[in-house]
Amino acid sequence: MTRKDQILTVEVADDNGNTFTLREVCERGDCHAEFVIKLVNYGIISPVEDITEAREWQFDMEALARLQKALRLQRDLKLNLPGLAVSLDLIDEVNDMRREVARLNQQIRQLLGD
Amino acid sequence: MDFKDYYAALGVSESASPEDIKKAYRKLARKYHPDVSKEENASDKFKEVGEAYEVLKDPEKRAEYDQLRKYGARADGSFQPPPGWQSSSGFGGGGYTEADARQFSDFFEEIFGGGRAGGFSGAGYSGGFRQARSMRGEDVHARLALFLEEAFNGCEKQVSFTVHEPDDHGRLIARRKTLNVKIPAGMREGQHIRLKGQGAPGLGGGANGDLFIEVELAPHPHFVVEGADILVTLPVSPWEAALGATVTAPTVGGKVKVKVPKGSTSGRKLRLKGKGFPGKHPGDQIVVLQVVMPEKHTQEAEALYEKLAELEKNFNPRSKLHV
Repeated sequence: MTRKDQILTVEVADDNGNTFTLREVCERGDCHAEFVIKLVNYGIISPVEDITEAREWQFDMEALARLQKALRLQRDLKLNLPGLAVSLDLIDEVNDMRREVARLNQQIRQLLGD
Repeated sequence: MDFKDYYAALGVSESASPEDIKKAYRKLARKYHPDVSKEENASDKFKEVGEAYEVLKDPEKRAEYDQLRKYGARADGSFQPPPGWQSSSGFGGGGYTEADARQFSDFFEEIFGGGRAGGFSGAGYSGGFRQARSMRGEDVHARLALFLEEAFNGCEKQVSFTVHEPDDHGRLIARRKTLNVKIPAGMREGQHIRLKGQGAPGLGGGANGDLFIEVELAPHPHFVVEGADILVTLPVSPWEAALGATVTAPTVGGKVKVKVPKGSTSGRKLRLKGKGFPGKHPGDQIVVLQVVMPEKHTQEAEALYEKLAELEKNFNPRSKLHV
C-alpha cells in the first residue's frame, strides 16, 4: 500500500486520556500560561476538572480548539479579554441559533410534507 | 498573474485617508473573520482584506502600489511588474507585523517579495529553519462535514488542509496536504478528533504538530439530530392513530417496527431507546407522529366519515380558538 492510499485511524475527543496540560496547551497555542489562566478566569475555556492549582489543569481537545480560536480572534481583531469573552459567547450563541433555525426549518418542511 | 485591486478589496477610493482605510479594514475583518462568518468564502475574503490592509496601511508600500497600479495593470486584468522591479519597503524588514504573510497572494509576493519567509520573524525563526532552535510543528485545526449516515456508521474520508513547511531553501511555504482518514462510528456535531503528527512538520528535530478535526453534520432530509437523539416525523393515518397500529419507521440504522398507541394525536412523541447516535451513552430516536389524510376518498369512505361526524359531533377541533 502506498503512502497516499494509507488510511489513518483517529483519536476521538471523549476517549479517555486525550487531555493536555497547561504547559502543553501553551506550547501548542504559542502563548503564555498567564494568558491561558486569564481565559480560564474569564470562563472562556475550562479545564476538565475544576482544580485551583493551575499546574494540575488538564484541557480537552475542545478547550484547545477554543483557545486557538481565542488566539486568532485576539490577533486578527485586536480584542481584549472582556471583548474576547463576549465575542466567543455570542459566536457560540449565534451558532446554536443557526443550528436551531436549520433544525426547525427542516421540521416545518417535514410537517408541511414538502 | 492577476492584478489585485486592494482599494476595491477594502471598498475605499484611491484618495481614502489612512483613517478611512483603517476603519474599512476593521469593519471587513470583523465581518469576514472565519471564526465569526458563516459565508462560504469568508476565509478567502478575510485573507484578501488582510493583504490589502497590509499594503495600504503603510505609506511607503501604498505609494509603490499606487505606482504599479498606474503602470502595471493591463486591460485584461493580468499583471506583470516592470522589469527590474524591486520593492524598497520590503516586508520582513519593515518591522513586526501581526498579519500572517504566509497566506498572502502571489501578487503580493511578487511585489513586496520575501514576505513569506520574513513575515515569520515574529515567531522566532526568520533566519530559515536550519539555524532555528528545535521547534514543535504547528497544530492544524480543520473542519469536516459528514452526512448523517457517515457519522452514524463511521466512514473513510479524504481530508484536505494546508500546512506550512520549509522548502529546500528553508523558507516556509504553504502546502496542501490530503489524508485518508478513518472516522469512527457515532461522531457528533462539534466533536473533535485528532491525528497525531499529521500537522506541520517540526523544525530542528522538533515533533510534528497534530491535525485536529471538528466534525460538522450536513442536514438530512428526514432525520433531525438533537444532541445524541435523532428525531423523525412519522406520518400515520387517522385510523392508525385512532385505533392504534404497528407500523414501520425508518431509523438511521435501518427499518424498525413501532407500536402506535391507540388514541394518538399529531405531535405525540414515541421514544425508541438506543436507536439514536451510537457511543458510550447512545441516544434515542424520537418518533413524532403526524396524522395525515388521504387526498381523495371513495364514496363509501365519505359515507363512513358522515357517520363519524354524526357520532363525534360534540368534538370541537377549534375549541382552543374559542370559536
